[in-house]
Amino acid sequence: MRDLKHLQYFEDLLQEANNELIVKAKSEGKVCAAFLCENTPEPLMNLGGTFGVRLFAPNTGSMDIATYYMTSLLCENSRALLERAIEGGFNFADCLVAPDGCTMINRCAENMELLHTMDGGKDNFFYENMEIALKGDENGVKLMRLQCVNHILNPLHEKYGIDISDKAIRAAVKEHNEICEIIMALSEFRKEEKPRITGYEFAVFTLATYVCPKYLIKKKLQETLKEVAKREPDDKPYRARVVVVGSEIDDVNLIKLIEDCGAYVAADRFCFGAFPGRLPIPMNDEEDALTQVARHYVMMSQCPRYMDMPKVYGRKQYVADLAKEYDVDGIIYQQVNFCDPWAYEKLLGSTMLQDDYGYPVLAVNRPYNIASSVGQMRTRVQAFVESIEIKKIQGGAK
Amino acid sequence: MKTVDIVYNTKKKKGETQYGKLFNDGKVRKRREWRGLKDTLYDFSRWLYLWGVVIDVTMSKGAIKGLFRYRWMSNYLAVPHAMDKFTMGMRDETLRITHTAMDFVVKDVAKCIKETLRGDRRCGNDVEFSNKCVLSDENAMTVFMMGFPMLKAILREIPTMFSANIMTQQSTMHYLDVAQRFGIPGDVCPMPEAEAGISIEDDFSVLGKCAVQVNTTCDGSLMGNGLIAKRLEREYGIPTFQLAAPMRHESPDVLDYAAEDMKACIKWVEEQMGVKWDWDAYFECIKRVNATTRMRWSWLEVNSTPYPQFYGAVFSLFNDTDYMGNCGRSADFPPIEKKINDLIIKGYKNKTMQAPEYRHRCIVWGVQPQYCIDQLYWMINCWGVIPLTDMLSMVVDKQFCEENKPENYEQAYKDMAYLNMNMIMRNKTHGGYEVLVDELWEHVERMNADMVMMWEHMSCKALNGLHGQFEDQARERGIHIVWVNHDLCDPRVFTRQQIRDEFSTYMRTVMREEPLDPTIEFLPDEHAW
Repeated sequence: MRDLKHLQYFEDLLQEANNELIVKAKSEGKVCAAFLCENTPEPLMNLGGTFGVRLFAPNTGSMDIATYYMTSLLCENSRALLERAIEGGFNFADCLVAPDGCTMINRCAENMELLHTMDGGKDNFFYENMEIALKGDENGVKLMRLQCVNHILNPLHEKYGIDISDKAIRAAVKEHNEICEIIMALSEFRKEEKPRITGYEFAVFTLATYVCPKYLIKKKLQETLKEVAKREPDDKPYRARVVVVGSEIDDVNLIKLIEDCGAYVAADRFCFGAFPGRLPIPMNDEEDALTQVARHYVMMSQCPRYMDMPKVYGRKQYVADLAKEYDVDGIIYQQVNFCDPWAYEKLLGSTMLQDDYGYPVLAVNRPYNIASSVGQMRTRVQAFVESIEIKKIQGGAK
Repeated sequence: MKTVDIVYNTKKKKGETQYGKLFNDGKVRKRREWRGLKDTLYDFSRWLYLWGVVIDVTMSKGAIKGLFRYRWMSNYLAVPHAMDKFTMGMRDETLRITHTAMDFVVKDVAKCIKETLRGDRRCGNDVEFSNKCVLSDENAMTVFMMGFPMLKAILREIPTMFSANIMTQQSTMHYLDVAQRFGIPGDVCPMPEAEAGISIEDDFSVLGKCAVQVNTTCDGSLMGNGLIAKRLEREYGIPTFQLAAPMRHESPDVLDYAAEDMKACIKWVEEQMGVKWDWDAYFECIKRVNATTRMRWSWLEVNSTPYPQFYGAVFSLFNDTDYMGNCGRSADFPPIEKKINDLIIKGYKNKTMQAPEYRHRCIVWGVQPQYCIDQLYWMINCWGVIPLTDMLSMVVDKQFCEENKPENYEQAYKDMAYLNMNMIMRNKTHGGYEVLVDELWEHVERMNADMVMMWEHMSCKALNGLHGQFEDQARERGIHIVWVNHDLCDPRVFTRQQIRDEFSTYMRTVMREEPLDPTIEFLPDEHAW
């Protein structure tokens, strides 16, 4: 296929956390609200005068100092983030909101705070830890709402004078939804038999929406959407269509690696992915905006932290529904090394999707930076793709 | 660095003083310890009592079937031997305190085993009894059962996994292998992992009309529940409720959420079991919980003096049983607490000591290994390091509303929620660095400790996540911090001797000291139960 005009531009933005758009937004006097974890209601970080950035640590190499602080058995994602913070890579942030979503991200954020990694010379800087609901119910919505008030809205207002009114939240949700609608429109092209966008390209655009000020990428995303709509797909068929499920993937090279093995990543159900993170938030005029945002994040969350059985079974159903909608041949459950929640979710998910829904499943561990383990991962994915092909040749059931 | 005065034992110790001769490479010790006539007779009588408990369990309904059906059952044949792990070198009051507390814990676990097998569909199959049972996690504060005196809370993971590993160090290895063969990585906490393995292998007893799961203690425990609940619900038709305990338990803005879920849980149990919550029973229970807390604080006060009396693994195991499994529900606990208390006061007045000298006063932090449960007593006998308290014993320290009035019911739900969130261990490992790191230094100060023995449970992400903070802050405060690695219930990763070696290495190289009893510095117990 012909190269997309802005792909290189977006790829470049993903090379460092402090990308040029963050620098630009800061130079315009905006407050950078940094956050960790998909359970943070993102629109609240994008109120007028602020822009939200989800922290990531691209091109991570050594994690020695973070390993001293958190030992080698904590998840590589949390260690990579702490290392980058200690190196000064997140000094652009004006606050950090960290949900206590999992223990390791919580410890990562606490170390960032105790080591004063980001607050040097910033009088108004604040670190906030949020409690996240454990079950998908109205009690959880109430908790989420309260936590947003106490740990996002009030500190932003008190420290930076940010407008936290219902009107401001609605405006932020509107902007958030515009971005989500573009991503969802791009995602529709992944359903095609001969897709006009690769899984890798899609991952690049989606990741950029998490780590860049949204208002600065909207125009280029819109242009990209138009370009993709007119794009001529390749004739070359993919060997297998897959959905990638699991813990945070903020390294698009993992998706590239999977596609280099002949698979097509037709859908994504991981943190930093499109589902459910880029689903627009439905809003009405009857209820206050904050409650609606809270409800969306509690009810839509596919985080394994949610422990009630409707959520536990629902997560597998969600993946099965995606697999059906995007007509995939197999499912890849991946887990970043040393992640506890996804270690168990990967086990139960891969078992149920195979036994109860009949999909071939690859369950695999991976490092935070896939560059450190390309060979192993390639071997696993290649074998998986081949096994799917053999099943197709033999005419076996999905 | 901070130092404390050495406290010398002015009393001549009766019986033997070198304990290495008790060990060979066998499953059990070569012989029993000679403690002088009186204490040896006392100790032997308690040993016979424990055999009585074992025989009683074996004769109970479904036990013989259970012995052949469940792999974990055979671990309990080691009960009388296991008790010796806690009493090495003890005389007088400390020996009696340990026996009083630990024998009661054994009795409580025995009761749990008997009830589990009685109701078990595959063993006793007492349907009427089973229909009165609510299954609960081993790591749950059973607060949601305080107002249901007509029902039985069955903590089926206690005999299956938790206490089995104290009896024999190899008890969980098979289940860990099962879980890992199924795809759970080896770096997660082995306790929920072993429980998942037991469920995968279908080696849990099956009983009860419903089950309540909690997300205490950690992410691994929370996640393992889903796997266990699937089997309970879909294969055995036992509905489950997941009771939410927020992580940041000291933040006031989570309490309403937790209380609401507690209310929902109680309502759910009422519906499932067809019974009504009894507020009278609840307030009786909470009075006992409050009394236990007051009692425990007075014991800790004694431990703050030069003559600590109730310490080590038994202190934490007794607290564990009292707060979690019991949670004020049994009237059998207060008399035992009183008996222990009387012995503590007597021991303090008599300046009873376990070792010839106490060289260092130590706070034990982190999570103790199940399979090396006698380490703290070994530290006293070998190095003269007295453990003043441990993290697992620092349970709640507040008093709860005791007045049975309808206007207090909302507060009672909050109190139950608070207790649930503050489950043993979890109240320190979760809730922010303030409760894990800052509080440690407060205890060091309050109890006049000069040393921290830090259990580095290598798979505990909550503890490991603040490793560097402990290091940095101990250095700043001039406190010796001794790191001892283990893997909770998997002796293949760190053996018992490796655990002892880590401590001894610090004592020799940093403290430049020689052991009080060199015969136990190296013990051939790798193959022992």
